[in-house]
Formats: sequence, C-alpha cells, structure tokens
Amino acid sequence: MRLSLRRTPAIAKAAPGFGSRSLVARLIALASIWSLLLLAAIGIALTAFFHHAATSRFNYDLTVLANDLYAGAGVDAGGQITAPSLGGDFRRAYSGAYWQIADLPKGGRPIAIARSRSLWDQVLNVAPPTLAMLQAKPGQLFYYDTLGPAQDGREPLRASALLAFLPGHAAPVLFVAAQNRAALDRDVRRFGWATAAAMAILGVGLVGVVFIQVRVGLNPLFAMGREIAEVRKGRAQRLTRPYPSELAPLANELNALLDHNQEVVERQRTHVGNLAHALKTPISVLLTEAVRTPGPLSEMVTRQAETMRHQVEHHLRRARAAARSQGSGERTPVAEVLDEIVRTLERIFRAREVMIDWEAGEDLLFLGERQDLQELAGNVLENACKFCRSRVRAEAEPLSATRWRLTVEDDGPGLPPDQRLAMLKRGERLDENAPGSGLGLSIVDELARAYGGSLTLSESRFGGLRVDLELPRAET
Amino acid sequence: MRVLLVEDDPDLSRQLKQALADAGYAVDYAPDGEEAQFLGETEPYDAVVLDLGLPKTDGVTVLERWRKGGMAAPVLILTARGAWSEKVAGFDAGADDYLTKPFHTEELLARLRALMRRAAGHAQAALECGALRLDPRAARAAVDGEPLRLTSLEYRLLHYLMMHQGRVISRTELVEHLYDQDFDRDSNTIEVFVGRLRKKIGPDRIETVRGLGYRLLPLAGEAPAV
Repeated sequence: MRLSLRRTPAIAKAAPGFGSRSLVARLIALASIWSLLLLAAIGIALTAFFHHAATSRFNYDLTVLANDLYAGAGVDAGGQITAPSLGGDFRRAYSGAYWQIADLPKGGRPIAIARSRSLWDQVLNVAPPTLAMLQAKPGQLFYYDTLGPAQDGREPLRASALLAFLPGHAAPVLFVAAQNRAALDRDVRRFGWATAAAMAILGVGLVGVVFIQVRVGLNPLFAMGREIAEVRKGRAQRLTRPYPSELAPLANELNALLDHNQEVVERQRTHVGNLAHALKTPISVLLTEAVRTPGPLSEMVTRQAETMRHQVEHHLRRARAAARSQGSGERTPVAEVLDEIVRTLERIFRAREVMIDWEAGEDLLFLGERQDLQELAGNVLENACKFCRSRVRAEAEPLSATRWRLTVEDDGPGLPPDQRLAMLKRGERLDENAPGSGLGLSIVDELARAYGGSLTLSESRFGGLRVDLELPRAET
Repeated sequence: MRVLLVEDDPDLSRQLKQALADAGYAVDYAPDGEEAQFLGETEPYDAVVLDLGLPKTDGVTVLERWRKGGMAAPVLILTARGAWSEKVAGFDAGADDYLTKPFHTEELLARLRALMRRAAGHAQAALECGALRLDPRAARAAVDGEPLRLTSLEYRLLHYLMMHQGRVISRTELVEHLYDQDFDRDSNTIEVFVGRLRKKIGPDRIETVRGLGYRLLPLAGEAPAV
C-alpha cells in the first residue's frame, strides 16, 4: 500500500457549447436585441409622422393658393377668362411658385389659358390618372407630385389641382397651383437623420445600462466564484460573505459540502493514524522479545520488525502530508507555538543544558494548522538542539504581507555545502525515498513544500547550521 | 530504587516489568489511569514510566493531577504518537523525558538512569515569593500550585530575580547572567523576556524601576519576602 500525496487538482474548464455560453452575454444580447428593435420602430414611426404632418402643412398652403386662384379668376364681357393678379414669386421666372388656368376638353389634354410669369414658356403637367380623377369629381381639390420647369425640368414640385366652373363660362376650367417641395423633402430627410442619430445614441446608452445592470446584478455570483477559488487555494475555510436570497442556498450547500469533505479527510487521517499507532505497541513487543532470545529467528524478527517500524513512520507522515494539502485556512500564532516547542525541547535536552533563544512578533500569524507549525518548528529546532554545543537561536520575522521566515541557527559543527545539497536533494526525492531518512529536516522540507514554502540551508553566524524556512503568513 | 510502571498492553508491560526487575529496580505496576493515579499519590517512587494512551484516565491527565498534588518523582512518558503537539502536552503536564514507541528496552533503561541521577543530584531548597514558588531541583515554577510553562531563558530570569527578590537588578546584570560572553545580545532584549515572563506569572509581580532595572516583589496582601 502506498499513499500518494494529494495534489491540487487542475480546474477542469467547462466545455464550450450552446448551454455554456456566458450568462452575461446572453442577458445583454437579449436585452439589446429587444431595445434596438423597439428603437428602430420608434424612429421609423416618428419620421413617418413628421413626414405626414409636414406634407399636410404644405398641402394647406397649396389649398390656399388654389382657392385664391379660383376666387380671383373671372370671365370678362367677351367671354374670356381673366386671371387674378398674384404677385410675389409668381412673377419671377422659375421661382418655384407657379399657377396655371387651363381648359380641359373632354377626353383631351389641358390647354393653358393663363399662367404665372414664373412658368415662362412652360406648362404645368397633369398626369392622366389625376385628370381622370379631376373629371370624375369636379370641385374637389387633388394634390400630386410633379416636375417643374427649373433645373432642366427636374424641379420637384407639389401641386394642387381643381376642376371648377366659372360663371359665364360653359366648360369647366382647370386651376393648378404648384410649389417647389425641395425644402419640405430636405426637412423630412433632416428629421429622419436626426431621429436616427438620437435613437442610435439612445440605443448605445441602453445597451450600456443593460451591461452595467447585468454586471452589478450578477456581482454576487462573481464574488462567490472568487471566494470558492480562495477556498480551493486554502486561503479561506468556507464561504462567509452574505449572499442574496437566490444565492444563499447555494452557498449553504457548498459550505455543507466543504464541511463534509473536511470531515471525511479528518476521518481518513484519524483511521490511518489509529492503524499506525495501534501497530507500534506490538512492534515494540516483538523487538523486545526478539532481543531477549537470541538466535536466527530473533534476528529475522528484529529485522522485519524494524522494517515495519520504518514503514509505519513513513506512512504516518505521508498521511499527514496528504491531509495537509487540503489547506484549511487556519491561522496559528507563531510566538505561541515557538514558546511551547522551545520549553519542550529545553526539557528534552535538559541534560545537555541547551538554551534556545527565540524571538517572534506577537502578531505574526502562520497560515496553516497549529499541528503542522509544531511539526515544522519542532523538527528544525530539535535538529539544531541535537547538533549544537549549547546555544540555539530562532528568529521569526515577516517577509511580506503573505510570507514569513523562521531562521534557526546553532553553534554546532554545521554541515559542509556538498552535504547540505545532498540533504535538500533527498527532500526533493522524498516520494521514492526509503522511509525513515535520518534527519528530521526531510520531513520539514516536505511539509514546507505542501504549504508552498521552502527550506534552505546555509552557514550560521555562530559556526553551525543555519536553516531558513519560508512559510505563508496570515493577515493580522 | 522503586519504579512505577504504567502500561496497558499486557505483553509490553510484562517485558518491561522483567527488564526493570533485571536492572535491579523494585517495580510496581498499574494497567490503567485510575490505579496509576492512586499509586503515584500514595507511594514514594524514585521514577515513573508512564504510557500516555491509557484506559479510564489518559496519561497526560494523570500526570497533571500528580504534579498538582506535589508529586515530584521524575516521569518518563511513553507515547505511540510522535507528534509534537503530544510532546508539548506531555512536558507541559510535567514530564521529564519521553520515548516514542516502538523503542529498545536498553534505551528506556538508559533514560531512566539519567533521570534518577539528575533528580538525586542538586539538593537546592525551593525559592518562594508570595504565591510564586520555584523548585531548582526539578527546574519547575508554579503560582498557587499551578505549574508555570517557562522556557529556559524565562526560567533563568525568574530564578535570578527570585534569588535577589526585593532588590533592583539592572538590565546589564541580567544580560550578563543570562548569556555567555560569546553570545552577544542587546540589553534591550531583556525587556522582551520580562514581558513574556509577566504574561506567564502575572503583570504586577515584576516592577520596572525606571532607569535602573527590575525588581521582583510579592503582590500586596501576600506574605512579604523572606
């Protein structure tokens, strides 16, 4: 049986597909499509309405003109039709304002009797369908679009026509008044552009507001994602933020799951521990008994019991390390742990009168379990106590907001550089290393790595070995 | 020499009883915590071998009760779990040495011999200052019978202050007494140690005399220094 060190699993990315598209993109797209369609419809309706209103106003002016023309026209003593004298633009050639009085023989084309000076030598055309309508309903005004004489006969005009009878004149007379509608068209066009621009700005604004709304609205969801990441990295133990009522059940379920996980790991840890510890007393008995009755059998039993003892030690450590990489987010005061480890070690090494001089800020916190800091500091300091002459010095100091360092120095013989390297290499190969590898520093190295920390060996200023242990620090 | 062996495993206890008897000790045996506590409180032993994982009352609790009751014999604890948390708990409860199972019997006998030799060695009288009591023989101190958990430097500091209680002691004097010459330390660090010691024995027992040093005094209402 071999326990493998549990590593932080890589996050499995959700496969992209229809169902997994961004929620934000979906919400924004839906809201955007709806508001853009609505805005386009409003723009088109507004433009149409404006067009209608402006044309009505234009038609009204034309009606006045046509009525003036009709009211001002008369028949003289000779039976000739007399035109009213309309001034202004009607006198100026190609001015854009025209009138014309014409005879309309049955089934024929109108024959101009009188026309404004502005028409010069041209006539105002009336299209055959309009003529038919005029003849069908005499006395009623009709409006139509046509072309005028200016701009080489391409002048856009709007005209009103009326077929009416004049007293003293047998045949009906056709009155036509027309005006250049370029200004009207331009106004309608301008209004259309202005409306489109306004709607576009409104559209962009709306999409922006929708975007902000979605982001702000979904913010608790993103916050939850970040908090879960913190838990995974071991910086937090569970979700603690207050979540809106829709997310709170999810957060509670997640917490329950985390607790359950923790419990399972704890239980495994306890089981492995119990098994290993339960084996220790029988091994002790075997070893003692074998020593008491020498012989080939006892030699074999001793050898096997020693192997079992190493295996038990090894797997206990592996089990501890496996549970450790979960990251519990616990905060442990460094000074407290150093104090208890130091007084314990001084008792253990009382016969040699070892004195450990230590220093640590009262507010320095280790981000990890107390038991682990006890193992780390305990093994490093025990190693120093074993090899020192009489003094050991330990200093704990913060390196940054997230790291701190424990430096342990002794005044013993120290280790030559090549052996230091060998010791660290042994730490690196700990996975395939045989159990029970002498110095406690290899356990420390493994444990420090599980915490994302490091162990370095160098020479102490007191002549012995200097061990630097870098570990994660919790905020005060 | 009389030794109390407390161990619940029948095979191991049989072996240990035999080994201890072979080494010339008179051995009493207790298979559980309750009996161990009773024997330890009533019989005068020269040393105790105490397993921590015991039925009825666990070893650490037994040891704590012994020490509270003034039992002074050196205690060697046997533990299956080599974790530091357990060692700390054991020594804080008043253990003098420990052995992690499985162990060789010779190792146990050697440790036991060393413990008894040390206990017999110094015969210094206990020091007292009010409710504060320091026993140089066991290198232990207590307030109102409650054991203090001191590091070696703190213990030395307290020991020196108690030997000179009532007198103002300068920082330089303390530094000279606490450190060897080759261990160069700033006299300001004494403040740190005094601070730690005050946290453990109560803030008012050590008086700071500005510009001069420190003085250890009994609290008001306690018996004056002898």
